[in-house]
Amino acid sequence: MNLPAGVRNFSYARDMAIFRTKTHWAMLLLLFIILFTAPGYLPNYWLGVINLIFITIIAATGLNILTGYCGQLSIGHAGFIAAGAYTSAVLTNSLGLPFLVGLISAGLLSGLIGVLFGLPSLRVKGFYLAISTIAAQFIIIWVINHWSGVTGGFVGMSVPPAEIGGFQFISQSSKYFLILSLTIMVIFFAKNLVRTRVGRAFVAIRDNDLAAEVMGIDLFRYKLLAFFIGCFLAGIAGALLAHCKYGFLNAEYFSLTESILFVGMIIIGGLGTTVGPIFGVILIRLLDEMLRMEFVPMLESTFKALPAGWASGLAPLIFGLVIILFLILEPRGLAHRWQLFKASYRLWPFSY
Amino acid sequence: MNMKKTMKIAGLICLTLLMVALPLLGSACGTGEKTLKIGITTPTTGKAAEKGSLMGHANLDAIEYVNTELGGVGGYTIEVEWLDNAYDPGKMVNAVQKFMDDNCLIFINASSAMMTAAMTTANQNEFPGIAAFTAPILYRPPEHVYGQLPDYGDDWIVFAEYYMENIWDGEGKPKMALHLLANSTGYGALDGAKAMADELGIELILPPEEHLADTISETESLTRIKAQDPDVLYIASTPAPASVIIQNAYELGMLDDMTVACGHAAFTQALVDLAGADIVEGVYGVFPTVAWGDDVPGMDKMTEYCLANHPDDYGNMDYITSWAQSLIVAEILRLTLEEVGYDVLAAGGVEAWNAIEEYGIQRLDYDVEGLHGEVKYVAGDNRLSKSLRVFQIESGEMEPITDWIDAPVVEYENFDWFGN
Repeated sequence: MNLPAGVRNFSYARDMAIFRTKTHWAMLLLLFIILFTAPGYLPNYWLGVINLIFITIIAATGLNILTGYCGQLSIGHAGFIAAGAYTSAVLTNSLGLPFLVGLISAGLLSGLIGVLFGLPSLRVKGFYLAISTIAAQFIIIWVINHWSGVTGGFVGMSVPPAEIGGFQFISQSSKYFLILSLTIMVIFFAKNLVRTRVGRAFVAIRDNDLAAEVMGIDLFRYKLLAFFIGCFLAGIAGALLAHCKYGFLNAEYFSLTESILFVGMIIIGGLGTTVGPIFGVILIRLLDEMLRMEFVPMLESTFKALPAGWASGLAPLIFGLVIILFLILEPRGLAHRWQLFKASYRLWPFSY
Repeated sequence: MNMKKTMKIAGLICLTLLMVALPLLGSACGTGEKTLKIGITTPTTGKAAEKGSLMGHANLDAIEYVNTELGGVGGYTIEVEWLDNAYDPGKMVNAVQKFMDDNCLIFINASSAMMTAAMTTANQNEFPGIAAFTAPILYRPPEHVYGQLPDYGDDWIVFAEYYMENIWDGEGKPKMALHLLANSTGYGALDGAKAMADELGIELILPPEEHLADTISETESLTRIKAQDPDVLYIASTPAPASVIIQNAYELGMLDDMTVACGHAAFTQALVDLAGADIVEGVYGVFPTVAWGDDVPGMDKMTEYCLANHPDDYGNMDYITSWAQSLIVAEILRLTLEEVGYDVLAAGGVEAWNAIEEYGIQRLDYDVEGLHGEVKYVAGDNRLSKSLRVFQIESGEMEPITDWIDAPVVEYENFDWFGN
């Protein structure tokens, strides 16, 4: 008999399932309907914004596995994204290989570069590791700028549109479906990864690496595996940026500021949770977009007596202020607030 | 759960939602006036804000001038959708997509770097755009992106031609060293040099030396250049690093028997102020606009608006560039309106964009009120103005020593090294 006060599972597998109740499945179905019908009711501009959000979610999920779950701080994520973007661009543009080959190679090469720069993590951690990952950011960008015969150097290089089986992803809606599909796969992968032996090893290393080693966890293997997975996803995000967002690459697009912003996204969203990067990315990207694209132009057009451009400085000001307020009021991230909301929903109408 | 904290969080979320909803409500309340809508995006915040901010001011001031004093275009007010791209490629692409969704007829922007981010989207959708500062990669081969001014490659070509005709009197090929800013400003000039050096009879010292925007010493790179004994040093950069390079070259005793020249991004009064008038005496440069105070028809009105709205921008050459850019857009709208009428433009979409290109941009023959070289479209060449003047610094002043010189069209796409 199903009672309204809770859910009872009769098997271990059922208890471990991601979607355990009919409500879960109904909400998932509703979410998929909303997501997969979005091109029908959203203009191209918003599809473009959502595409960027989804690509950022893929990259932030990678960083969250590395930093949030395994505790290895990385401030060079934009560099790994750049490595992926250029790998795919070079393979598809210069060598004429298919997009899917470029996409997977982008992930693999970024992952391997991540492993290389992750080697110091075996000896250093915290701020010291952060410095070594900053080095990755600078070195990767330097190589891109100076390997001009391959990457176009400071001028940059063009990138063909994504193409699978002869179908070119040129319209915003076609790009949307491609990026959405990959984003769902990445989130599903991340959600399951942290429930495996590997995920538990990551968490153990994050909480206390010495204790983890004493328990038999191979630090060398798991730390580098975290770097590989985190940077693999960064590479995938880079390839999508190159083929589905920009169409032309310049190393300037992958700045240290972006790397820092990625760390900000996973902190605001909630470190060490699967939904954290999603919330963080949506908040940061949407807030930034709305302030610059809607709020500031609206102020400018409303107060026409003031000199042109007077409101532009408000965007970074409000953006920074909102981030600070979120960190003060909810330091455990939006994911924690989401957990509290779900708990309240389950208990409603009772308080405890 | 702590109710007070929950209320704060709820309040914060409400505030965020309010900020999101307000603009949408605002955008729903149109004025009903018949307008011609254009998109302008500038890097008003972010790392290029120093240039982008005032360029945005000039764009909008010029549109205000056209609307209030000239009665708009053909009686229709120019409606501007202005967006800050923050020198962020993702935002730039989104801005261009928004312009297309919102039925803008054309878009203009300031920076070549941001235009490279958006050009694929613009070209795929046949949405015309004009960048103030350009590199050859933007429009070779030519599609739907145009350059307002000659590009950094043109700078090199015009100076090199002038040098060969008027300065070089030695035997054989002169040796030219290049000192390039490590971005498209520097490497756009290298494109021009690689394409035309042989034809002009100049021996380039390669690889070029490069520097960063925040360099404080280039003694080491100049020592390497000095060892090659060049006849001329060409600097493609911005004022601050260019001044460092010239100062260092002076300290190394290189300026006595070597010609020094700068591309237009470096050649402003700031170069003289930073390096010192004595040190930069005799340095050559090229520049695509007139200077403040020059006796040209458009100067008075531009100065009036600048001093009234943004007095701090007075004296900055970028303001002239962007003011002229908006005047060019007004002229494009006028030409198109005359040919196809308001209804076609009001309908927006690809038909309107094609009309803007075919009847507006490609029929341009406009003097920009004398603010820079004539703007005239030539088939297969998406540079609207091709004219530069050569200057030389004399007693701290930048004196023009030539009339307008047109840079030739270079089909960069025919070179193996270009764009790959």
